[in-house]
Amino acid sequence: MSAVCVQSNLRKPSRILAWLAMAFCALVVLMGVFSDHLSPYTYNIPSGKSLEAPSWQHWLGTDDLGMDLWALMCHGARTSLLVGVSTALLAGLGGGLLGSFSAYLGGWPDRILMRLTDLVIAMPRTPTLVVLATFWGPSLRNIILVLAFFSWCGPARVLRSRVLALQEEKFIVAARSFGARFFHLARRHFLPNLFPLFMIGVTSQISRAIMAEAGLAFLGLGDPLSKSWGLILNSAMSFRGIHYTPFWKWWVTVPLFATAFLVAACAILCRELETRLDTKGWNRGKKAPGGNHAH
Amino acid sequence: MHIAEYALTLCLILLVNFGLPRMMPGDPFLNAEDDLDQPFAANLTTEQVAYFRAYYGLDKPLSQQFIGYFCGLLHGDMGYSIQFKESVRNMIFSRLPWTLFMVLASLLLSCLLGSWLGCISALHRTGSLDKALYTGMVLFSELPSFVVGLVLLFVFSVQLRWFPMGGGLSPFVPPGNPLSWLADAVHHAVLPVLALTVSRLSGFYLLARNSMMTVLSKDYVRTAWAKGLGAQRVLWGHALRNAMLPIITRVFLSLGGLFGGAVLVENVFAYPGLGALMGTAVGNRDYVLLQGVFLFMSFLVLSMNALADVLCRKLDPRLA
Repeated sequence: MSAVCVQSNLRKPSRILAWLAMAFCALVVLMGVFSDHLSPYTYNIPSGKSLEAPSWQHWLGTDDLGMDLWALMCHGARTSLLVGVSTALLAGLGGGLLGSFSAYLGGWPDRILMRLTDLVIAMPRTPTLVVLATFWGPSLRNIILVLAFFSWCGPARVLRSRVLALQEEKFIVAARSFGARFFHLARRHFLPNLFPLFMIGVTSQISRAIMAEAGLAFLGLGDPLSKSWGLILNSAMSFRGIHYTPFWKWWVTVPLFATAFLVAACAILCRELETRLDTKGWNRGKKAPGGNHAH
Repeated sequence: MHIAEYALTLCLILLVNFGLPRMMPGDPFLNAEDDLDQPFAANLTTEQVAYFRAYYGLDKPLSQQFIGYFCGLLHGDMGYSIQFKESVRNMIFSRLPWTLFMVLASLLLSCLLGSWLGCISALHRTGSLDKALYTGMVLFSELPSFVVGLVLLFVFSVQLRWFPMGGGLSPFVPPGNPLSWLADAVHHAVLPVLALTVSRLSGFYLLARNSMMTVLSKDYVRTAWAKGLGAQRVLWGHALRNAMLPIITRVFLSLGGLFGGAVLVENVFAYPGLGALMGTAVGNRDYVLLQGVFLFMSFLVLSMNALADVLCRKLDPRLA
């Protein structure tokens, strides 16, 4: 499926929504970066009575061990960002580079790589993640590696098809006929044309990875040493009687809605990025294949 | 050709399943010696270890072990659960109907509702209805099923108390007439099915909208309008029939995601399906059970994907 075909029917998210999404993502990034300085309490030492409701001392209340929930949330933002960004870099950049090189080289490396992506894509993602995370043990590094292993195929395929299309372009053919070598082609032609796709790939992988980590942590497969939002949810849900006591009003609601808002914000940002690049980016003025015209 | 690829993936999964426990550090006998304060601690002599190794077939080369494992699987032998001391196969089959019901119900709902909304959106592509629908669906598009499930759980069963908080049936209810049993089962299934449906809905919506828009801009649709055919005839007769193909493919291909979502949703609602079984297995580190469920789910999903491939070629002669 060509990316152009899909994108021409895209609709731009409204301006306010895009700004809100941007603001929320920025907030989460700030929370993660300055997590140690944003709260008077630390995330790993009890600082109050257990299960206190939100108050001036504890803005978001405390959990069952008496840890300040705001401090936990800040630290969770850092963990989630770490997982998201490193997975996305590994999968987005690594997969994208693999895909580009395989298209550039062609021949049997290309064929092998494509078969490999077929294999990985056909595997049911969540059950496999659960099994691998259980066996390899829940350390943050393992989780990142496992997630990256499952996410590199999408970017690899998109970049591969783009490079294949680029190689047919007149300016590349012309540059080649003048004797342009790999480094010249890569620097002058391929990189500027592929950069937006790399960006989309990495951005979309960030929220996917954060969600997958939250899901694993929710099942109890998170790294117990680095609290993430999913792990807070997991400890809240495994608290006996969480359904019958009012504690869920802060203990579950805060990480739950933070997660939900982050995913929605990332989705909006991704869409915004795609439409921007679609309207004034790399396929400007070009007719999309299949007689499928842009509005 | 494609069937061969699915078979290859299945082989890969088998290899992973076979290899993972054997790649773990230590072995079962070292482990048994390690926990001396445990009630089942065993202090094994070298001869005893050798005996048990031979008994469990662990002294044979890996290739022979794999052949034994594979032949066992062909007979439906997936071993015995460590925690429950019960045949994994029986446990899986007793839980299967719950998961199948949940997955199929939400597949049907999300496919029908999503395609319907997508068609509406495509018809009003310049209007504010499309804008509102599209924005809403993009907002929901990446929401994972367990987040949706948790929101539904706390709003509708904890706060409003409209639905039970978990399980598949009310406990301690003597078996009465089948109608009330069915009503009880449906009452318990509403929220899990809804959570799974909502998390898959926007995928179908975006696909249907895109596919319908592409078809509506084709020449044969313009011809149909020009012939003076009524709107209903053009839309349902000409456009939808051609726009349906990617949606049908998607129905089969989304099964993998649905089973994955079911694993998480069932753990939110303690729904007695395969996913909850997987959650229990993870919680108890019951590796045999975990692998059995994983293998079964993978087999199910892969065979459905292979079926989708065959079906698509039948439906769309351009692909064959």
